[in-house]
Amino acid sequence: MATINPGFSDELKKYGAFDLNACYNCGNCTAVCTLSDEENSFPRKMIRYSVLGLKDEIEVSLDPWLCYYCGECSTTCPREADPGELMMSLRRWLTARYDWTGLSGLLYKSLPASVFAFLLLAVVVIWFGIAQKLNVQAIMHYGHLFEMAAITLVFALILLPNILHMWWLTIYKPGIKAPFTAYVKSLQDLVVHMFTQKRALGCDDNRFRWFEHFVLVLGYLLLLFTTVFLNWFETSNLFVIVLGYVESIIILMVTFDFVRRRIQQDAAISINSHPSDWFFVIWLFLMGLTAFLVRLFIDLNILETNVWLYLVHLIILVQWALLIVPFGKWTHFLYRSFAIYFHRVGELKME
Amino acid sequence: MKKKIGVYICHCGGNISDYVDVNKVREAVESEAGVFLSKTTMFACADSNQKDMVTDIKEKQLDGVVVASCSPKLHLLTFRGVTERAGLNKYNYVHANIREQVSWAHSDNKTGATEKAIQIVKAAIAKVRNAESLEPVKVKSTKAVAVVGAGIAGMRAAIELAEAGAEVYLIEREFFVGGRVAQWDDLCVTDETGKELITRLYDEVMKHKHVTLFTGAEIVENKGSVGNFQIKVKVQPRHFKLQCSGNELQKAIDICPVEVPDEFNFNITTRKAIYHNYPSEYPQLPAIDMKSCTRCGKCETVCSAVDFSQKTEVLNLKVGSILLATGFDPYEPPKGEFGYGEINNVVTLPQFKRIIHYNDEKLMYQGKEIKNIAYIYCVGSRQLNGENKYCSRYCCTSTIHTAITAKKKYKGIHNFHFNRGIRTYGKAEVRYDESSRLGDIYLQSFEYDPPVIEQRNGQTFVKIKDLLTANKELEVAADLVVLVTGMVPRKDNSIGNLLKVPKGRDKFFNEIHMKLRPVETVIDGVTIAGAGQGPKNIVESMNSALSAATKSFSLIDSGELALEPTVAEVNEETCEWCGKCDEACPYSAFEKVEKEGKMIAKVIPSVCKGCGMCLPVCSSNSIDLIGLSDKDVESMIDVLIK
Repeated sequence: MATINPGFSDELKKYGAFDLNACYNCGNCTAVCTLSDEENSFPRKMIRYSVLGLKDEIEVSLDPWLCYYCGECSTTCPREADPGELMMSLRRWLTARYDWTGLSGLLYKSLPASVFAFLLLAVVVIWFGIAQKLNVQAIMHYGHLFEMAAITLVFALILLPNILHMWWLTIYKPGIKAPFTAYVKSLQDLVVHMFTQKRALGCDDNRFRWFEHFVLVLGYLLLLFTTVFLNWFETSNLFVIVLGYVESIIILMVTFDFVRRRIQQDAAISINSHPSDWFFVIWLFLMGLTAFLVRLFIDLNILETNVWLYLVHLIILVQWALLIVPFGKWTHFLYRSFAIYFHRVGELKME
Repeated sequence: MKKKIGVYICHCGGNISDYVDVNKVREAVESEAGVFLSKTTMFACADSNQKDMVTDIKEKQLDGVVVASCSPKLHLLTFRGVTERAGLNKYNYVHANIREQVSWAHSDNKTGATEKAIQIVKAAIAKVRNAESLEPVKVKSTKAVAVVGAGIAGMRAAIELAEAGAEVYLIEREFFVGGRVAQWDDLCVTDETGKELITRLYDEVMKHKHVTLFTGAEIVENKGSVGNFQIKVKVQPRHFKLQCSGNELQKAIDICPVEVPDEFNFNITTRKAIYHNYPSEYPQLPAIDMKSCTRCGKCETVCSAVDFSQKTEVLNLKVGSILLATGFDPYEPPKGEFGYGEINNVVTLPQFKRIIHYNDEKLMYQGKEIKNIAYIYCVGSRQLNGENKYCSRYCCTSTIHTAITAKKKYKGIHNFHFNRGIRTYGKAEVRYDESSRLGDIYLQSFEYDPPVIEQRNGQTFVKIKDLLTANKELEVAADLVVLVTGMVPRKDNSIGNLLKVPKGRDKFFNEIHMKLRPVETVIDGVTIAGAGQGPKNIVESMNSALSAATKSFSLIDSGELALEPTVAEVNEETCEWCGKCDEACPYSAFEKVEKEGKMIAKVIPSVCKGCGMCLPVCSSNSIDLIGLSDKDVESMIDVLIK
């Protein structure tokens, strides 16, 4: 027995969901969706749950993560209810629901809070730079340390507990009992989907977008590896230097294309842009750009006289690592692949 | 006895001739006594053949005609028309059915089919031999119409009839006009109120010198028939003089010690024995409800207009037609249906409309503020087990309209529609869309799995297995449960009984033909309009009112009526009144009269339908049907058994 909660749609609206009331339950969205099947029938079911405000049903569901937002449902919807954007909003809502700190929800729901958090971090970095007397070597040294510390701490304190929370909600709470071997067997799916978004290939008209995304993920992960573990900014290894350039150019190009699409709104997926979407693509673009410029300035030997550039890069980096990665859209990278992992585990449950 | 009978045998393009040898039929009947001419024809109903028949009848001076073709339901009137055009009385035409009864039925046996066709045509020839020319029964008609019920349909019909030139008696049982529509506030889809519509019509009725309105009035007796109904109308007094000051009236209402449930508000409030339904209601003079008045006399002491000396009057009126616009009752759920009468926040849709009427700032009921409203549709309509199988047509639209009204009038309202499929047909569909856009939630189930009402910890819950959520069990905590009750026939059917107007399976007044004769009843001269005939919305009621008014007017307009002559007749010599015919007659067409010292039965031709119910019960075999007499039938049987 589930109790209807008509107030939920108001809450969901803050995460970006558009006209929920327009839906008249025709089911065209599900019919047209290439990823939906009999067992996982979406998006109609999720829309209905959202209309009725069945929070308990939504939070234990993995369905929102199984959608890759091709936008076909939104294009087909006879009432222009925008089911694709609703699924996106549900992913944001779920991100907030998984996050034990509550910051995700706050940043998603309130643009002023987001802006404040970004500004605060910028001020802290500038203050730190001044405290270091704008000595580029010292700042760079701490910057590198920060990168390593941030990766470890964000993962250990935020992302890991949140994934466990997700497991608790979607596997433990619905009473799915899976043997340990199921978790081992499904690991392959986790890795494949995390790095390739293989499932998105099931969407129609989506090959190029998938390819761009795939290249971006590779570029991003490699750049992360190159800067953090190969210490790109301080290395003199020519191969590593060139590798970093190539990676940052890839990020620049793909994110530039993503931003262009969101501005031009040329496909259903890029019509609706929540502030969190803008932060994600723009900050990724800025990361690529500033990293590229910093290394260029180093190679031209003018960074010493242009400390500001590194400071800007560090500000972007800190905002990215402390806001977007743990609480923003970056988490989709993890939750989406873990959703497929848990889904696979659920399929292998004990009869 | 006819000597010049023309017989036409139709091929029906092969429909008949593929199985029946039509030439053989023609040969077999051409030598029958009296047959002067026999022909086969490809299509008897074709224009060319009709013209040939007219020429034949005229030139050859035929005195009887038989066409052997399809069912008389298709073409009896066609060929009667042909004989009339040729100057021959149409009752000299007899129709033989050799398609539905022969060729189609016996396509497996051509020889047998041909034999049967021969028999049937011979029987028709036997009947036409005895046929006589008949003239329609002429009846004088009074150019006046009684319209029963001054609701929206009755008033509209009355105005229309008066405009056309009839004298109209508008007879309303209540003391106030307007019927059900006066009880509604804003209406779908224009937001005009029921009161506004009623006021408009009332003003027109009062302006028209040919409409006489009687309130508190009922037809208590009827004699006569179409063209000449002699009715007795009993008019109850209001017990008020025409001049009445508002001040004194309020005092009289205040002082009246009697308090009864107010039916105008569907019993959610009470009223005094002195009452008017709402301040500007028409007629504006209040009335005293003598059924509940204790005659304590207190009102007389404070209001000089109160007049207990007024007496009930009985008027004798003569009208040519009666138009029934008696309306409907809202379905009253039995105690316990969806908690009605047991759980105190369960009300019906009409009651809910009145609750909205009386609440301005906040929606309050039983001292509690209402936020979550659950509407349960199809209560008393489309019943699985009950007798009301029909859809009441207006309720989906009305509910959604009311839900929107509530949502716009009060803050924080949530509407939940527990429906069985929404039927906001036509223009009302925009309201369904609007309510959906406003966030109303629709939940759906089948009739065999209706929602369930439950009370837990003082809170009322409505549960449903929702079809739209894959049959998931859902529940809503409702502050108010509104049962969407449909329309049922009026509890009081005295006027229907008095006029013997038949009812359909749904217990509403029945028309002759649902599609082709939608406002006439089998009682000649009695027409029906509005929701007394079956559930209708206002638009549909207006359509039927105007249609019934036209039909009633057409009966009385010329001052004379021509009725079918094929009725029963009584042999005055052999009849000894036993009354059995009178008991058997469904139309009260018999009168007991004295003739040469004995009592006999007499048929009133304008009432008789020629149904023949009286024939088999007559102990002295004194009744015959004109045009289908014993002699006619016997002559046909003689041929068939030969």
